[in-house]
Amino acid sequence: MNPVQLYLRLVRIAIQSRLQYRADFVTGVIGVIVMNVVNIGLIAILINRFTNLNGWTAWEVLFLYSLWILGHSLFSMFMWHMRTLEDYLVQGTFDLFLIRPASPFVLFLGREVQYLGIADFAIGVGGLSLSYTNLHLSWGPTDWLFLVLAILAGTLIEMTITLMIACIAFWTGRSRRANGLVMQLNVMVQYYPLDIFGTVFRVLVTSVVPVAFMNYYPALMLLGKLDRIGEWWFLAYLSPVVALIMVALSAGVWRLALRRYSSSGG
Amino acid sequence: MSMFWSFTRQAFHNTVVYRVEFWMRLLSILLAMYSIRSVWYVLYTQQPDAFGLSLGQMVTYGVLGMALHAFIDTGSEWYIATQVRTGAIDTDLLKPIDFHVHMLARNLGEMLFGLGVMALPTYAIGYFLFGLQLPPDGMAGALFIVSLFLGFLVQFHLGFLLGAVAFATLDIRSIAWAYFAVVSFFSGQVVPLWMFPDALRAVAEVLPLQAVYYIPMSIYIGTFSGPAAWSALGFQLLWAAILALCARLAWGFVHKRLTVQGG
Repeated sequence: MNPVQLYLRLVRIAIQSRLQYRADFVTGVIGVIVMNVVNIGLIAILINRFTNLNGWTAWEVLFLYSLWILGHSLFSMFMWHMRTLEDYLVQGTFDLFLIRPASPFVLFLGREVQYLGIADFAIGVGGLSLSYTNLHLSWGPTDWLFLVLAILAGTLIEMTITLMIACIAFWTGRSRRANGLVMQLNVMVQYYPLDIFGTVFRVLVTSVVPVAFMNYYPALMLLGKLDRIGEWWFLAYLSPVVALIMVALSAGVWRLALRRYSSSGG
Repeated sequence: MSMFWSFTRQAFHNTVVYRVEFWMRLLSILLAMYSIRSVWYVLYTQQPDAFGLSLGQMVTYGVLGMALHAFIDTGSEWYIATQVRTGAIDTDLLKPIDFHVHMLARNLGEMLFGLGVMALPTYAIGYFLFGLQLPPDGMAGALFIVSLFLGFLVQFHLGFLLGAVAFATLDIRSIAWAYFAVVSFFSGQVVPLWMFPDALRAVAEVLPLQAVYYIPMSIYIGTFSGPAAWSALGFQLLWAAILALCARLAWGFVHKRLTVQGG
């Protein structure tokens, strides 16, 4: 069985075990939708009162929010449990991934699915359609292709950052605390256009924790706002490249972490 | 009364243990403060006359909202819900102290800790970083403290009622997400009520949620002063009393029908 087949089979099992709790699914989806609508509603009210936020209309900010959450939705469906890697290490469940004749990463990745990502996805599609209509956009096929690439890049960027932070647990035993900090950066990039912030913050979320590539930079291209970054226009096209660099980096960290784990004897 | 304080002290100790978490949270909350400061700064530069108050007041309101939100919400609903789900609630019921009073003591301890050890230093850093303002006079400062305490009572009892829902549903996570979003909206934690469209503002002014953030923060920046401040405190006191009564009735109802699974 190749790794892809293995992964798909693991996901099927994970979905079946989730389906035991259908009532949870309904209330969970409603909860997530209400939360997102209220949060974005608050920002929309604020921006409408002032017509725009640093040149961004409410619909454009909704576009940013939706693009971020579309990339995030795939993460939250299939990779959310990466945040809980430290529990696998502490409880010893991680050993199961090492003694089986398959890639520990694939086994870990296929361990769980989270149905709530479906609600995120619905919010993203809804928000994107609303802003597409109200901004009177009309994209060609290349723009749509770019959108799909940007969403997938967003998923990979969030996954790799999460994985690298979770790997801290291989050395320290704990990693979850650092997650809150990254989540805060994510929230800021998700809700507000990056150009309201100062240079230090912009450099931080562009090069150190590159969450700005999940929505801000590709959105500049898709919304025709490239002039906002002037001579740095090329950043708008870089999301897929950044995602690949991050994948390579996190693969390296993962390999180091595994070596560390086996040497410590579990 | 000494028993009340011993629970409060215990909660304080439980929270002080996590030092790394402290620094991570401090950084996160400074980032949250920075984001709201940036928003108000940009909007104020765009349209200074739309506010009716100074940039300093507006930024202070926003940053204070972030500091309080991070540390004053003690999440009583989570404690109750977890105890109910795991069955550990029976140990709470065995304690020789009324459950409602026990919860109040515990959350008061956490709130005082959050305020003294986390919110105050964070706010002090924010004060220098973002050029915040102090209350206009000593009276406003004193009323702010009183108002903050009354706001805590309102928030605690809402959380207690939400936690009581766990006796019916066991899991309150999804309800809680929606609830938190609604709280941060209608309490004016991020955007003050007077910026709402009229219809929403009317709703927000009836709900008890403005007691949690909007009223104390408005007293702090000086937009509520004199008679307005006193009647706002009256509003808080009234809602705190109503919600405390509801919490006791709900608890009485739940307690009579309680079956503990596992335990």
